[in-house]
Amino acid sequence: MELSDREYSTLQQMVEQGLADASRAISSLTTGQIQLNSPQLTWVQLSAMPRIAGVPDSVVVAVYLGIEGDLDGHLMLLFTEEGACRTVDLLMGQSLGTTPGLDDLALSALAETGNICGSSFLNAISDRTGLRVVPTTPAVVIDMAGAILESVVTDLYMNGDEVLMVETGFNGLVPGHFLLMPNQDSMAKLLAALEALL
Amino acid sequence: MNEPMAVGLGELKGSRDPEAQLVCYGLGSCIGLALWDLRSRVGAMAHIVLPDSALSRGPVVQPAKWADTALPAALELMAGMGASRTTTVARIAGGARMLNVVGAGSRLDIGARNIEAVREVLRRHDMRLTAEDVAGTWGRTLTLHVGTGRLVVSTAGRGEQEL
Repeated sequence: MELSDREYSTLQQMVEQGLADASRAISSLTTGQIQLNSPQLTWVQLSAMPRIAGVPDSVVVAVYLGIEGDLDGHLMLLFTEEGACRTVDLLMGQSLGTTPGLDDLALSALAETGNICGSSFLNAISDRTGLRVVPTTPAVVIDMAGAILESVVTDLYMNGDEVLMVETGFNGLVPGHFLLMPNQDSMAKLLAALEALL
Repeated sequence: MNEPMAVGLGELKGSRDPEAQLVCYGLGSCIGLALWDLRSRVGAMAHIVLPDSALSRGPVVQPAKWADTALPAALELMAGMGASRTTTVARIAGGARMLNVVGAGSRLDIGARNIEAVREVLRRHDMRLTAEDVAGTWGRTLTLHVGTGRLVVSTAGRGEQEL
């Protein structure tokens, strides 16, 4: 799928706004210590997706939310195990290194991080386009990066071979990724909605 | 020892080199199909992504991506390397449900459909399925040692086993 320069910059602007909202929401809970960097929008071949977070059998902590409503797609936060523990510390207002491992409480804190990032991001898209988009409840999975991403890729393959991936990192203390992957039909809907705004 | 040959999403690779290892890294909902001919010691592995090539929107350019087209392609590749299908056995791993999300419904449970599709296509081609490690909610790395036919499934936190 090809994007015109104008479509690309409108999309970029909307995504930046959404991430700024998500960033504000999450930093207000963590006294500003978790922030999202400005996003990269790239077309990625689905076959290459399982490798985006490093070697496909490296273990990661993923917080996954499906996108439902007028658009279909996937949101995912990916952390190393250490990054996930640090995120929990920041959310709980503890000094870094307090969380030794990911127990049930830690996992639900991570799910909540996904919820907050996802909801505020999708709200921004809703507000701007008038499309109704909501996240599913989050799932937290600790497993091989490739295996987790593969499950998303499989769904996306149903209607295309590539995906527009919005990728951003958590700055500073918590290395991680925030990924937005709409399927191709939804991409077309999203662009049509953006076009109507121009 | 040779560098393991990674079999990526939708890929098919075969070898008759006794030192070779064919590997599907990080299988989630996909299926790793390992074929090995015990007579010629030719091995092949396919990284199957989806159950049926009828789901393809365009022409099938990557047969190993789909369960129904992966098996014939793998058998053909192996025949070209001197394998005989009557002495070839099949083993599979994968088909997990990694993301258990309430509300996302069946669209994320492609793993179960993949397992069924691969079993069915093996039956249709009269291929023996001698072992499987499928379903569940965890990822798997599948390694076929071509020289011996040894097939190992490894996981993150659930150890490894031979199939």
